[in-house]
Amino acid sequence: MGRKIIRRINLIVVLIILVIITLAVLYPLVYVVSAAFSPGNSIASLNILPFGDGFTFKHFIHLFTKTDYLIWFKNTFIIAASTSFLTMLVASLGAYVFSRFNFTFKRSMMLSMLILQIFPSFVGMIAIYVILQRIGGFNQLWGLVLVYLAGNIPYNTWLVKSYMDTIPKSLDESARIDGANHFRIYRKIVMPVARPIITFLGITSFTAPWMDFIFPKMVLRSADKMTLALGLFNFVTDKKNEFTNFAAGSVLIAIPFIIFFVITQKTMVTSFGSAAVKE
Amino acid sequence: MGLHIKDDGSSRGRILASSLLFMGLGHILYLRQYLKGLLYALYEIIFLLLLPGIISRLKGMITLGDPKPELPVKLRDHSIFMLIDGVAVLALIFLFVAVYAISVRSAMNEYRDYTVEKRFKTNKESMSRLLGKAFPIFGLVPTVALILFFVVVPLVFSASVAFTNYSSPAHIPPNNTVDWVGMDNFKAMFGGEAAWTRALGRVALWTLCWAVLATFTCYFGGMIMAVVLIDNKIKIAPVFRSLFILPYAVPTVVSMLVWQNLLNGSFGTVNRTLMKIGLINSPIPWLSNAWLAKFTVVLINLWAGFPYFMLLITGTMTAISKDVFEAAKIDGANRFQLFKTITLPLVLYQTTPLMIMSFTHNINNFGAIFFLTGGDPVVADSTVTSAGGTDILVTWIYKLTVNLLRYNYASVLAVMIFVILAPFAIFQFRRTKSYKEGDL
Repeated sequence: MGRKIIRRINLIVVLIILVIITLAVLYPLVYVVSAAFSPGNSIASLNILPFGDGFTFKHFIHLFTKTDYLIWFKNTFIIAASTSFLTMLVASLGAYVFSRFNFTFKRSMMLSMLILQIFPSFVGMIAIYVILQRIGGFNQLWGLVLVYLAGNIPYNTWLVKSYMDTIPKSLDESARIDGANHFRIYRKIVMPVARPIITFLGITSFTAPWMDFIFPKMVLRSADKMTLALGLFNFVTDKKNEFTNFAAGSVLIAIPFIIFFVITQKTMVTSFGSAAVKE
Repeated sequence: MGLHIKDDGSSRGRILASSLLFMGLGHILYLRQYLKGLLYALYEIIFLLLLPGIISRLKGMITLGDPKPELPVKLRDHSIFMLIDGVAVLALIFLFVAVYAISVRSAMNEYRDYTVEKRFKTNKESMSRLLGKAFPIFGLVPTVALILFFVVVPLVFSASVAFTNYSSPAHIPPNNTVDWVGMDNFKAMFGGEAAWTRALGRVALWTLCWAVLATFTCYFGGMIMAVVLIDNKIKIAPVFRSLFILPYAVPTVVSMLVWQNLLNGSFGTVNRTLMKIGLINSPIPWLSNAWLAKFTVVLINLWAGFPYFMLLITGTMTAISKDVFEAAKIDGANRFQLFKTITLPLVLYQTTPLMIMSFTHNINNFGAIFFLTGGDPVVADSTVTSAGGTDILVTWIYKLTVNLLRYNYASVLAVMIFVILAPFAIFQFRRTKSYKEGDL
């Protein structure tokens, strides 16, 4: 009888702590949603209670009529989608070659990719800036895509290669006997089997550039080339203090992200985990 | 056609010498592989035609141009373009040498085949082999080109800039030239200039503390949540779990900028709320006191980072076989003992690599610092060095590059990041399956 009561109390204490943590976790998220619909402009004018000021859509209307939000969205989408597509293409081709062929310097190439992937691209930031100026990719969306793509290749080629190594070679052999060439085997046999890892790759290489800040800030200069991250950041810099516009813009981006994430969380995390451990 | 060679292996020297003399020569003269030989030869001819340009670029890289103040700005030597061209040309030379080595090796292999089979390959055979190689070459060209010119060249360039005086105000092309200065920048940052030395020591130490604290708080925060929620006594655990994931799903730039505004000292909502309730009388300087700001970034990073480890550890824990627990329970182990002797070691073993990856990620965690505090608040040496109280190496690099245009010092920091990360690169490498199985 006594033990049961202690357990009850234990459970209640744990639940109370969980509720407090939930409040802390949700507080900024709820507040930013409420700010997006509040009439004020800066955060100083907002009521400390969420939704304490009433309800309005004017910030969303402002975003679409008075700012370049749609252009930012379009630019960001072009950059993220091209990066994602090209990463899948180049990494899967490279991985297929590494997984299925033997050639001179294969060992050293794989080793150097492994070492290179640990260094973040922006330690070479100044050089990338100069290279893009040199090849005319400065202030161009494709210049940025090239930078992301190159940064993605070393790690992801390894990732896909490790996955392809688990696909039995007998599959390609039998296709080769039937007269299929390498490209056909890659496209019709290896790619469909490797779809889970390719999908994972496509998603991660889409979301990373979607919200990246450093490289767009450096590479893109004119107003018509701005991305969402730059535009949102500018709402809340020292000069302007348009927290509610920022909130409206953020909510529009974050909600699809969250929905998508909640749907795919299990697979995402297990792939993250297994991808990192497997290699 | 074709000079005679012996099939007992004694002509090795001749093949080697001819292949070394000119690319593809061995293939054409002795091995009767005319197409392959011609392709190799063509490659070398193109390289030789480019040679004058290559040499002048290398010279440019060594001199980095001369100051010519009498010329209009457009015509002056642009040292930085000369440097990057030089590094790119080095990459081309490297590529050429690599293909040269491949061609020699290919000739030697062909000769070995000849000594075994005692006959040359027919045209048809060598054509089909060549076509078979077309695919891997085609597949690797984008990878090699991208990695060489957008990963390796930038890294080498960055390292080189650390040995030049490329910095504002006196050495910014195209108005002025840049010169090699040897170890001067390193000397200045490691003892030469007091303010920079102090800032470097402070920032490097904080980068390490930050990475350790950020990783540990998120890892154990995530683990505690995973353990509490996996206990099936709480019926609505999945609800909590889904709610706790939300911070992880929000892009860093959004969540950190939101926190920056909420925690603002004068008009932030957090302070206004706390004052309204009566918990505090004056605003708490969350982001403007150097020590409190350090605490705040770690705390907010915990908010953003624990869900990842919670999910991961939940996954690992559910994968542990139930039999182990049953056996231990029969032996009379209580819940705490079960956790300490079974769950914890297994989870730690499985997730240590990810913890280390997270550590390297945190060393470079630009977003968590930059969007929350911008590296501020200012401290004693900030006016000179621009390094604030919460700046880590990467945010400092950003400020030196974008605000101060002190590229030389920024590159010294980049070199330091190489040095810090190198052991992790080795660790990562030794952990791979290929290394363990002896493939590499």
